[in-house]
Amino acid sequence: MAGTNLAVNEDLKSDTDLQKENIMIQLDGVEKVYRTDRIETVALTNINLSVKEGEFISIMGPSGSGKSTLLNVIGLLDVPTAGSLELSGKPVTSYKDRHLARIRNEEIGFIFQTFHLINDLSVVDNVEIPLLYRKMSNSERRKRALRALDRVGLNSRVHHFPSQLSGGQQQRVAIARAIAGNPRVLLADEPTGNLDSQMGDEILEILKDLNREEKTTVVMVTHDPRQAEKTERIVRLFDGRQVN
Amino acid sequence: MIKHLIKMVWNRKRVNFLMTLEIFISFLVLFAVILFAVYYTDNYRQPLGFEYRNVWNVSIDRSGIDNKGETVGPEIPPSHLLSNVRDFDEVEDAAGVSLAPYSLSNSNSVIEHNGRTIWYGFNRVTDSFKDVMGLTIVAGKWFGPEDDGANWQPVVINQRLARDMFGSEDPVGKNFPTGNDTDITRVIGVITDFRQDGEYAGLDNYLFFRNDINGAEASPLQNIVVHVRPGTTAAFEEKLIERLQATARDWTFDIEPLTSMREQVSQIRLIPLIAAGVVAGFLMIMVALGLVGVLWLNVTQRTKEIGLRRAKGATARKIHTQILGELVVIASFGLMLGIIVVVQIPILDVISFISARVYAYSLSISVLLIYILTLLCGLYPSRLATRVQPAEALHYE
Repeated sequence: MAGTNLAVNEDLKSDTDLQKENIMIQLDGVEKVYRTDRIETVALTNINLSVKEGEFISIMGPSGSGKSTLLNVIGLLDVPTAGSLELSGKPVTSYKDRHLARIRNEEIGFIFQTFHLINDLSVVDNVEIPLLYRKMSNSERRKRALRALDRVGLNSRVHHFPSQLSGGQQQRVAIARAIAGNPRVLLADEPTGNLDSQMGDEILEILKDLNREEKTTVVMVTHDPRQAEKTERIVRLFDGRQVN
Repeated sequence: MIKHLIKMVWNRKRVNFLMTLEIFISFLVLFAVILFAVYYTDNYRQPLGFEYRNVWNVSIDRSGIDNKGETVGPEIPPSHLLSNVRDFDEVEDAAGVSLAPYSLSNSNSVIEHNGRTIWYGFNRVTDSFKDVMGLTIVAGKWFGPEDDGANWQPVVINQRLARDMFGSEDPVGKNFPTGNDTDITRVIGVITDFRQDGEYAGLDNYLFFRNDINGAEASPLQNIVVHVRPGTTAAFEEKLIERLQATARDWTFDIEPLTSMREQVSQIRLIPLIAAGVVAGFLMIMVALGLVGVLWLNVTQRTKEIGLRRAKGATARKIHTQILGELVVIASFGLMLGIIVVVQIPILDVISFISARVYAYSLSISVLLIYILTLLCGLYPSRLATRVQPAEALHYE
């Protein structure tokens, strides 16, 4: 798989060839414009993208090309200015905050470059965060968090605080937090950006394992072509547009 | 979620310490003011036991007394003085009393009874005092000529004292242990109450001795309470003074309606409370502004965390609730410390005249007000926390 399906032209025609029920993420004509009183900044223009269920794709592009914006739109953290977004065939663009929050909680797991761990909480408490917004008992929540930590090999650090961990370990905690709720989609925004290459490889391996074993759809933003080549498909962006 | 909130607050205890301290101190100040406000309100709602409208008090300054306590010049018999007052058409009745209502002068005594210490206030009055002041007899009778020549001293007590002394037994006809072994003092009647210091004063035990103005041991009058007919104007004061002055030339008489004495007493009681309330009010405003500022800063510093929580599935409402929830937990820590301090007051009986019921009410009101205050202070900062888009919040610097 690695390195075989590299940059693929993401046109609408090829997407329509996919069976509708296998498409996890579908973006049609998505645009994102940031407006202030004086300036209008176009972050994304006419993005058409389909991601199959269980696929592992990477998004590449120079700084300011709109990679993170695209990830935020897919992850329902930002609203597109135009175009439509479907997750599992559901037209989420029109959903209200409460509904979007539920999808973020149940369907999507985020991993960030800067980990975004809460320093005042222990490792296991950090991992429990997405589960706090679900109806479940404390014991069940703890059980799932510990299982997720075990999955990333951090079961010996559950009561440590983020400041007591290395960067790689912190990113593992962030991955554990992202997968604790068994999401169908993992969105990783430069997950290895703050790590050395060895740590970065380890993190990528975890993501690949999750993709392979849990059939989790993974969309990863990266600057590192070496890592991007290990994914099934690369989507390239330049100035907010998809390029071949 | 509650466990999570407590954990968040506890793990950030250094940051939250100042807010907890601020709430703790505010609670103490608020509790002190509310305690006295509730105490006065509770007292005000209790029956006064007498009628003050259309009653005037004539205070008698028998300045012609030498340094041995002997009257210089002729002593005027109390009965003569009273009959002079009653002569006027404007007067319905008049009575002599040692300590006038609303005069804030008190006589107190204490007895040991069945292993208990019982305090009571007492006063000496003439037979017509009940009718002048509109006292209500609930058992036995009031003083009258039939008590002349008795070989015991008759007393009338209030219900509270009757309960304290005799429990559920009928106190009428029972001897009252005044501590004086030579004289027998016997309860002849029970009144509802006589709260001499007015509506805001605490509920106390009270006892009346009889001033038998026709007997050999008649006490000189210190005050005359006069029940005037409704509609009697202030012009009558002058006529009354003239008559009294003509009767006892060496004495000085001063007339004041009980309504005006009552007003003065109310001011004496309420002005310090109002002043303390104003100070406490300003303190609360300062605390509120401080809390809003600290919370605002807190929310701003935690923008990324809020963004993260939104990314992980928290709705705007849940973020709002979390910020307010943390504030409630912080307030609860401050209140817990405050409650530990204030419950020592009734336990150690530091302020004995305030009942446990008043403490409980004051505590509940103070706790409620602090929660309301903190929640109000948290409303705007917590709303701010939900305004930022999650994507923006995650990249907030």
